[in-house]
Amino acid sequence: MKTLRSSFKVPGGVHPDYRKQATRDKPVQVMPLPALLRVSMAQHMGAPAVPTVKKGAVVARGEVIGKAAGFISAAVHAPTSGTVKGIVDAPTAGGAVAPAVEIEPDGRDRWTDSLKARPDWRNAEAGELVAMAAAAGIAGMGGAGFPTHVKLSPPPDKPIDTLIVNGAECEPCLTADHRLMIEHADAIREGACIIRHILGARTLRVAVEDNKPEAVAAMEKALGGVEGDVAVVVLKTEYPQGAEKQQIYAITGREVPSGGLPMDVGALVENVGTCMAIRDAVVDGRPLTERVTTVTGTPLARPGNVLARLGTSYADLAGFCGGLMSPAAKVISGGPMMGLAQHSLDVTTSKTTSGLLFLSPDEVEAFTSLPCISCGRCVEACPAYLMPCEISRMVEAEDWEAAGWYDVMDCIECGCCAFECPARRPLVQHMRQGKAWIMAKRREQREKG
Amino acid sequence: MTSYLLLIVGAVLVNNFVLTRFLGICPFLGVSRKISTAAGMSGAVVFVMTAASAVTWLLQTYVLERLGLQYLQTIAFILIIASFVQLTEIALKRFTPKLHGALGIFLPLITTNCAVLGVSVLNVQQRHDFAEATIFGFAASLGFALALIIFTGLREKIDRADPPRAFRGVAVALVTAGLLSLAFMGFASLVKQ
Amino acid sequence: MILTTATAIGLMGLACGGALALAARFLSVREDPRVERAAELLPGANCGGCGYAGCADYAKAIVLEGAAINLCAPGGGEVIGKIAQLMGVEAAAAERKVALVLCGGDSGNAPRRFAYNGVADCRAAHAVDGGDKQCRYGCLGYGSCARVCPVGAIEITAGGLAVVHPGVCIGCGACVKACPRSLIRMVPVSRTIHVLCSSRDKGPIVKQACKVGCIGCTLCAKLADNGAIAMDGFLAVVDYDKELTNEAVVEKCPGKCIVQRSMEGATA
Repeated sequence: MKTLRSSFKVPGGVHPDYRKQATRDKPVQVMPLPALLRVSMAQHMGAPAVPTVKKGAVVARGEVIGKAAGFISAAVHAPTSGTVKGIVDAPTAGGAVAPAVEIEPDGRDRWTDSLKARPDWRNAEAGELVAMAAAAGIAGMGGAGFPTHVKLSPPPDKPIDTLIVNGAECEPCLTADHRLMIEHADAIREGACIIRHILGARTLRVAVEDNKPEAVAAMEKALGGVEGDVAVVVLKTEYPQGAEKQQIYAITGREVPSGGLPMDVGALVENVGTCMAIRDAVVDGRPLTERVTTVTGTPLARPGNVLARLGTSYADLAGFCGGLMSPAAKVISGGPMMGLAQHSLDVTTSKTTSGLLFLSPDEVEAFTSLPCISCGRCVEACPAYLMPCEISRMVEAEDWEAAGWYDVMDCIECGCCAFECPARRPLVQHMRQGKAWIMAKRREQREKG
Repeated sequence: MTSYLLLIVGAVLVNNFVLTRFLGICPFLGVSRKISTAAGMSGAVVFVMTAASAVTWLLQTYVLERLGLQYLQTIAFILIIASFVQLTEIALKRFTPKLHGALGIFLPLITTNCAVLGVSVLNVQQRHDFAEATIFGFAASLGFALALIIFTGLREKIDRADPPRAFRGVAVALVTAGLLSLAFMGFASLVKQ
Repeated sequence: MILTTATAIGLMGLACGGALALAARFLSVREDPRVERAAELLPGANCGGCGYAGCADYAKAIVLEGAAINLCAPGGGEVIGKIAQLMGVEAAAAERKVALVLCGGDSGNAPRRFAYNGVADCRAAHAVDGGDKQCRYGCLGYGSCARVCPVGAIEITAGGLAVVHPGVCIGCGACVKACPRSLIRMVPVSRTIHVLCSSRDKGPIVKQACKVGCIGCTLCAKLADNGAIAMDGFLAVVDYDKELTNEAVVEKCPGKCIVQRSMEGATA
């Protein structure tokens, strides 16, 4: 086990004010069960799950309430024991409306035993462990929500030799992963080892930014006895140091090809929360039912890191943190760079809700954007080597093909370009428009055959 | 060898047919909206100008001068160029329909292009031999292609930008062409011609 | 002198002409002359409404690929008739259609639920949290349809609602494709009664979202003769193929979403 100090600088990148002081030293608080939990079927990338329970059903914690629908999909489980009040159409953080199972907790928090624990996972076959991850409904908890069991099943011609555990948490204001590393370093280590065992990866790296020295120390201690090529890599604090492709390049020197995936270069990145969830599923037989969310913001009375059940409404989360002392002009699910603005606190937490941020009116500015002056700051800031100014102009002119030639599909939507733009242009929104058009075109062509 | 090189540099950069001699402005302004069409046009021009250069030189030397009919130069050249381009289009359509689909639409545009006639007449004026005439024609067309593609790139970007309403379209394009021409004046003393 | 000149030019001309004639004879590619004729008959606006890349492309498709001859909306019945004559087929008479935005929710009728601070494009706004209007189905008013209209027939009113001017509309259908909520429908010019709502939400939800929304009471469907209005879930939909003469539906509608409006507009 060694500690490597990386001098890698993300190509471009920005240095926003990180503002983690409000919650970085606050231990994770366990939130008591709210009166109602509304668990969305669309908590992951891919097809939403299909509800498997009906109104009036009595469920135990960890019981399947939604089954995966299709190859890229994940199961959804009851976050606590209780009665199903109904299946409703509920808004998600992304704005889409999806079916959700409403559960009224009975207070007993009874666990189901449908998932058989495998504490001796070192003797298990990779396939069996992947099936457990699928049965536990684990999806990427860093924010993307990609079904983990799919990620852990790369095709045989793309073997993985490097597993990177992502503890960078480069988003300002968020400290959930930071606290997880300090308080549950051993669990994360075990989860990482399980994943390493599944993939047969030789190399294990845990990436942490250097603004989290306590987390670095905790992970160093936890990884002490692990065999093989293991190291904690301390990365320079920069946004977006946590971006998957950039992190792979920082740690291994391999560049994921344009339009490609990490498995194309034999690497895989998993968030620390996901590692812990894998460990809970395999070692304790517990499906994914809760996660840590950083609830913070100046209008909030008591910002903190909250361990809440999936399906907890944002209103309840805010209430647990003392409520709002002053009106909030903006509510963001996630961090201020890549998070999504919300218009209703009825939205509930999902597997990917890493943060809930309240911004006061003087922290928010309604902007009008001006024409691009070709200053090039966005080009300098882009970590994916793109030219956001050009793509933005192409999207405005609706020249979608040109946007495709300029690699809009490689945009990771990190927001560095919009952060830097002096003309306050809505660059990320333009990128999304370009991507949406190209994906629609590809779908059309697939259907045409 | 050096004289050929000087000929090429002269035709492409120093005395660029479009930007310095101001020949071939029609397709320059008409086909410069998208890079793909500009590339197609350039290909067609290279072919026609080189071939026309050679053919008209042969016509001049073996028909017009032999028969003392140099005064028929302009009419004869136009006749030959027009027929030749038409013949090429028919042949392309028959033998390579794909290529015809890509370049064919531009061929009629080049028929009466003054750049083609210009290069033929210049060959006579500057008393080139056959090799020089062909190379000069080829270089002239390369210069045309260079100017066209640079200009198209500029125009594509300007079309996406937000010029004042009075300037949109051809107006700002003409201003750009003027500025590009000014830029190419920088090559003026590169080759003594 | 003149003689030599004339002979020389004449001979050269003959030679070139002869070469071309031979080429035309032996190297020609057989092309159907009807393609050119059809291209002449079409309006030449290249609006793309037929679904082909311009009039020349559509002409080719009609003659060589057997495309339907009634796809040119701007050309109208006259052009279709002429093409039918050219191709020797029956002309399928199609009545002229114009675009109609099936929504009445301007700022006075339909409130916004949050302040949208982004790109002023309906598709972009629709992608952000499902659009900033309370009504999930209503017109967002950022002008994507107006921008794509080749003749400028669509106006975004001061209340943020898209309205088509039927007299200007050429019926190309570009706006129908541009609207992310599929609010625009092509309606025959002779029809005057329209349901200006596209919300499929239940009545109570619609009432909260808009003052002139369809609440799904089915009164109009019952009043309309021969099924000219049918219910699609909680939304009343007009079947324009059927004749609707019972103008009482306009006053009787409790949601105030049925209007009587002429689609003729100013004569073209």
